[in-house]
Amino acid sequence: MSQTTLKRVLGRFARDPLLHFLVLGGVMSGVFVLLDDRTEALMPTEIRYTVDDVARLILGFETQWNRPPTQAEFNALVEDRVREDILYREALALGLDKDDTIVRRRMAQKMQFLAEDIAAAREPTIAELKSWYADNNRLFEMAPRLSFRHIYFSPDRRGKNAQADAAAALEELSGTSADRVEGSGLGDRFMFQDYYGERSLQAIAREFGAGFAQSIDDLQPGVWSGPVQSGLGWHLVRVDKVIAGRVPRFEEVANEVKTAWLGQQKAEAWRKSYDEMRAKYTVLLPVPEVESPGAAASPAQPVDRPGDGGS
Amino acid sequence: MSIQRRSMCSGEWQRPIADTLRSSVRLSTVALAALVSVFGLRAAAQDASQGSPADRKAFFGEQHIHTSWSVDAWLFGNHLTGPDDAYRYARGEVIRHPLGYDITIDKPLDWMGVTDHSEYVGITKQANTPGSAVSEMPQAQPLILKDPNDPADVQKVFNYLVSLVSKPPIKAFMTPQIAGTVWKENIDIANKHNKPGEFTAFCSYEFTSQVNLRNLHRNVYFRDCAKVPEQPYSALFSWHPEDLWKWMDQQRQAGNELLAISHNANLSDGWMYPTDVDSLGRPIDAAWAESRIRNERLIEIKQIKGQSETHPLLSPNDEFANYEIMSFLIGQPEDSGRVPAIVGSYARQALKDGLTMQEAKGYNPFKFGFVGGSDSHNTGAPYRTNNAFAGHGINDGLVQRRMAGHLFTGMDVRKESTAGLTGVWAEENTRESLWDAMHRRETFGTSGVWIQVRMFGGWDYGSDLLQDADWVSKAYERGTAMGGDLPSAPAGARAPSFLVWAVKDPESGNLDRIQIVKGWTKDGQSFEKVYDVVWAGDREPEPGTGRLPALPSTVDLAAATFTDEQGSTELFTVWTDPDFDPSLHAFYYARVLEIETPRWTTVQAVKLGVDLPDTVPATVQERAWSSPIWYAPPEGTTTASTSVTVADLEANGAKALTDDELKALIAGKGIWVRNNVTGEVMKLRYDEKGTYDVSYVGARAQLPSLSGDLPRKTYEMLAAPYTIANGQINTFVSSTPIGMKVYQATGTHAGNTARKHAAYYGARSNEFGYANYEILLEGPANLVELPKDKMDIPVSDQPNYLGVTIEK
Repeated sequence: MSQTTLKRVLGRFARDPLLHFLVLGGVMSGVFVLLDDRTEALMPTEIRYTVDDVARLILGFETQWNRPPTQAEFNALVEDRVREDILYREALALGLDKDDTIVRRRMAQKMQFLAEDIAAAREPTIAELKSWYADNNRLFEMAPRLSFRHIYFSPDRRGKNAQADAAAALEELSGTSADRVEGSGLGDRFMFQDYYGERSLQAIAREFGAGFAQSIDDLQPGVWSGPVQSGLGWHLVRVDKVIAGRVPRFEEVANEVKTAWLGQQKAEAWRKSYDEMRAKYTVLLPVPEVESPGAAASPAQPVDRPGDGGS
Repeated sequence: MSIQRRSMCSGEWQRPIADTLRSSVRLSTVALAALVSVFGLRAAAQDASQGSPADRKAFFGEQHIHTSWSVDAWLFGNHLTGPDDAYRYARGEVIRHPLGYDITIDKPLDWMGVTDHSEYVGITKQANTPGSAVSEMPQAQPLILKDPNDPADVQKVFNYLVSLVSKPPIKAFMTPQIAGTVWKENIDIANKHNKPGEFTAFCSYEFTSQVNLRNLHRNVYFRDCAKVPEQPYSALFSWHPEDLWKWMDQQRQAGNELLAISHNANLSDGWMYPTDVDSLGRPIDAAWAESRIRNERLIEIKQIKGQSETHPLLSPNDEFANYEIMSFLIGQPEDSGRVPAIVGSYARQALKDGLTMQEAKGYNPFKFGFVGGSDSHNTGAPYRTNNAFAGHGINDGLVQRRMAGHLFTGMDVRKESTAGLTGVWAEENTRESLWDAMHRRETFGTSGVWIQVRMFGGWDYGSDLLQDADWVSKAYERGTAMGGDLPSAPAGARAPSFLVWAVKDPESGNLDRIQIVKGWTKDGQSFEKVYDVVWAGDREPEPGTGRLPALPSTVDLAAATFTDEQGSTELFTVWTDPDFDPSLHAFYYARVLEIETPRWTTVQAVKLGVDLPDTVPATVQERAWSSPIWYAPPEGTTTASTSVTVADLEANGAKALTDDELKALIAGKGIWVRNNVTGEVMKLRYDEKGTYDVSYVGARAQLPSLSGDLPRKTYEMLAAPYTIANGQINTFVSSTPIGMKVYQATGTHAGNTARKHAAYYGARSNEFGYANYEILLEGPANLVELPKDKMDIPVSDQPNYLGVTIEK
């Protein structure tokens, strides 16, 4: 575990006063001892703060007020903290933590965050990512892309003739060189672009409307075709290039792969941690008062753990 | 312990610790950011935008959406989908409506911010999850639904929720342990969906202040998700927007840039745009105004629960003001007789009041740009009239419930609109670039369609600029884009010009026209005028009204269809203000109208085979609103104003009339009054029983704000109530009283007319200390001043004017 990630995990713990003095038991104990030196036994009437504790108090103040606390404010901060710690210990002594549903739920959530964080703490090797990618590359499939040029026939200028004018212009274009585009005097000024390079159908639909995107997907590349109607008028279109949908090379999407891998690691780590914990327990449910066909559980029969691994 | 404490608190311990902290990377970044970003004046260097302004594109997005994580959404039956689903919906994936059927967006968005309520976020869901911590809290018991399919039960729980946000907060629900976790998850989800250049997911939430049923809601948008606080500032900490701004200032000083977007001013009961006292009851001052414009850069002009641009009673000369009006109070009990206020609830009036306050008081609290939004509580939102599933889960998610005019918390759900959208002119689709554009107000709102609109203001836009292939970069160079201030006028410039350009949504109706809405102020009064500046087809404004006739409708109401036979694809022009007065503050914004198309209720009535609803129009003109551009007279411009203020009057010993004196002056009398700002005269008749009427106001009269629809009143001779109380004559704009104090001047001082007698001056309560009305001793014999030669037609020539046939 690198120094930075250790700090991050530690910071997360340290920010949460609720957990400061909680012993988490065997599950994470190994890691936990590393993370927090406060698991040592404390004298019941001694409250000891480290430099880090104090720094944290000041930091908290500074983030809120954008300046260091004055002496009086600092004293108040410490006194507040002392008060919190004393009441916390007294509450623990009275066992108030035992039945508090908020505390319980919060701690359960913390377990999950912790398990996930630990999963995130490990840097994957390239080889590992590549191998994972090989199995999951369909998640990264890229949509087909088109490059095309078009000539616009504006209904604002031509009214109902726009389509016919476009058809006539197509006649004129056919038989001329494929490069005859700009300065041809055909068509009208278009409000956006005359050439679109490597656009997905979705991006084309965004500009021209869904119908147009569908139409040009069917056009034969390399020749002027049309007239094609869009939401903005009529067009002659020449598709230059069609880049088929494909699965990218690992190098192209390495960052995304890492994010996705991480997400999976987190889910996996959490599932595993929970499975392990769950395996240690036997759950007994009361016998239903009225026997019914669906009620199989009895104190003698352990309940199967639910399949989803969720809490 | 005591020994250790002493050493901790001694200077030698404390300083080194603080120093260590400051030298750490994290803190020094914060400190640096705080230095360059004091109160929002961010240095240009911090602007992450790449490329030149001419490269800016319109990125469309949703700035206001709720998921099952919002307490009320959960109640509306939205148990299935969270922020993750909201982003998936925005990107075009199919998700589930709360009722379980599939919904798909019509056109995937470029960006979105999920804005779940920060108040009790996730609480309803947790309360209704058996075994959860919250479900066992006594405070949560009223939140638990007995029968989720029983609208009465849902209504009851909803009303409890509304009462929750109006009451002292429940501390147990506010702990970071409960609220912070959900917020953190929210950010993680936004980060997961944020793909710079492709799709932007903002870190955002809603501050839901709902005091006494008044909607004072704000969405808060963070620029950088890495800097967001542990827990958002919610209305549970304080319902006062002022406290939210204070918190935002603190965040900004700590290097966390953020802005707020207010919404549903139309449901605020007049509290969104106050002009006299703030929500704490303190007089509004320069500091309040600065705090507001520093933090509230934008307002949501339209969403599912109506538009907040203007109301027909506030803009009687705006023939398109009668659009998607929604006026009610969310959560109002069925048996309550409360009538919500219109005054103070609409943006255009606020923009006008802002100008007047600038002139009269020296500060303008209402300088904001426009965005749109949905406020859907279904995780997904309906933007189009042919795909309209409304916004509130089980309450309006079934076509039969919608078309039955179900009353949901008092609202006829047929009055709900499609969701609004926001366009942002930004260099690239990233959080920084979009946020910066929002901050500089280069945004526009739409009614849900993808109309693109640009507006620039300057002094040097030739009428042929739009023929230039580089017109966009020249427009930026020579002036300001929407949301900005007009640069100062160069010598010799007569009037500013505005370049407007709009392109239709390729999947919606053609464009009808572009209008420019102008507001200006003089002597405590404000005015507005709507200009048609460019339009489709061969139309000429009608003589007399000056109005552009409507395009023939292509809508077939029996089939709920329309065609593209009318209207334009693209409209643009350079328009110069023909009525410009360089000494007066003004604002200008563009409004683009589509041709008529069937309203969603028409589409669904036809599909369902039932009668068209008679509580909403059958057709609608979808639209877009650009953010305004402001004009301020050059510093030191002092017009030789002959205006009279209350302060002038009092300084000269004028006496305010008492109730009895007012009664003696007006009750049972007909009185001529002149507005000294416009010169307009009118006759008022006050009877003894508390009724008055107004005679002789023309439809073209320049009437100051909050006059109501006077031309209609005078034409139809409609009487209205008045009261005399607390030294004021009160008349009403809808439910809001406007008071007039009357002062009796002692001599012949002040005012803009020479006078032989002591005069009576009236000061209206909404005119910021000016006494603009003068009671005339006698009225004019004629209301119109004809040209002199027209007044000199001898009797013998009179027959020439009769039996006339005018030939073309």
